[in-house]
Amino acid sequence: MEKFISVSSSSKKVLQIAQMSSSLPVDVIILGQTGVGRKLLANEVLPNEQVFEAKELEKLILDNKVNLKEFTTIIIHNINKVLNKNEFLDNLQGIKIVATGFNENQDYINRFAVKIEILPLDERKEDLEKLTNIYIEEANKIYSTSKVPKNIKIDLSGNGVTLKQSIYKSILLQTMNKQDIMDTLYNFFITEFKAERSYKALLEIFEIPLLKASKTTYKSQLKMSEKLKINRITLRKKFTKYFGE
Amino acid sequence: MENNNLYIELLENDLNPFILFNSNGKVKRYNKEAEFLLNFVGIKELFELAVSNASINFGFNQKYISLKFNKLLFYAILVGYTSEDEIALRLYKVVSNQINSINKDKLKLVNIFSLIELSKSSTLINSNLTIDELYDVSIPEIKININDFLLCINDCFLYFINDNKISLQVQIKIGEYEIIDNKKYKIVALEFVANRKLEIIDILEQKAIKANANIFINKNRLILELPMIL
Repeated sequence: MEKFISVSSSSKKVLQIAQMSSSLPVDVIILGQTGVGRKLLANEVLPNEQVFEAKELEKLILDNKVNLKEFTTIIIHNINKVLNKNEFLDNLQGIKIVATGFNENQDYINRFAVKIEILPLDERKEDLEKLTNIYIEEANKIYSTSKVPKNIKIDLSGNGVTLKQSIYKSILLQTMNKQDIMDTLYNFFITEFKAERSYKALLEIFEIPLLKASKTTYKSQLKMSEKLKINRITLRKKFTKYFGE
Repeated sequence: MENNNLYIELLENDLNPFILFNSNGKVKRYNKEAEFLLNFVGIKELFELAVSNASINFGFNQKYISLKFNKLLFYAILVGYTSEDEIALRLYKVVSNQINSINKDKLKLVNIFSLIELSKSSTLINSNLTIDELYDVSIPEIKININDFLLCINDCFLYFINDNKISLQVQIKIGEYEIIDNKKYKIVALEFVANRKLEIIDILEQKAIKANANIFINKNRLILELPMIL
């Protein structure tokens, strides 16, 4: 089971608060952006507890499809998506709640005795480093490689979620061979033909990466034309078409 | 012949504080309630209150005035003098009909310091506030409504979030008790001391009541008192 990463001082504090709240009969709300580890931290407060998506639980309560008396503790994710939050929480009185959500300036948040805010990953450098290494190791295992990705483009717009995606993508791309690329293109073209795309329009899929890579490798258009064995005027035309240069 | 002792005893046992000052503001006589009141307010302040509300000529002057000295509330005063030598002050207490009672089902035996630590850590996680702590660690585990108590002290810490430094003292009050459901309990006091004059906020009072606590302000001190239920 995945654990909340707590190498940085801020996440160590956050984990400590979660562990202190664990044995107390108090409601806890964990706030932060998508992918910062709210669900994992909720599991630290209430390990192996039943988990509900807030919106689904709201519907179940409204439809009388859940017997709340069966619960003494509960984890609720994305409480911000509930329409009437105060009424929703009124229905759950007597149950220890651990909820996750976004930090918003709303009254219902003040009903929670313990409020934990997790910072975004770009403000937790040590955690980011640790997570990056974990995801690289995972991706290497899945794609049966031991490569350390070069020029990895880390995307932190969705914190841990997009970090994982970007690392997996980088490693996947580096492990692809000629046949993989051709198979991928084959599938891509099948889809594109449904939109009746022409040969000329689809040529950019091939030409843009080719030109970019050759520019990175050979630097000048003169050398590129020489090495690629393509007329300089034709090359310039293509650069103007794709990159406006 | 009239029995003067009866009047004296009547004042002595009155539920309202009574104080007799001489012309210099020295206390000549006071009753039991006044003795309790003097724990929370200075003699000088009460003397000034009496003088500033005295009638122009000899006689008695009643004034409806809201006064609060820590947790003691008064709705009126009576000031009287019949000579230049002494002046009397009587304060009329606000009496609540609410029975002092606690829902014991929601109480749980807990270490109060761990709750203070939890509240402090979660509320002040991104704050630069420095707190000098002075805790009486001999305080045993006590029964508290944990959720409501945390909601209350969270707000106490938030009250000081923009201060640079405060001190927090947690101790058992000596000689003071609270009567709940006809039982006498010692009092645990959390005293937050800042470097500025403080003012009470309604929401803090409401949250304190919910947590079975009393909250009041004394100049630069915010004091939260709760019964030590074992």
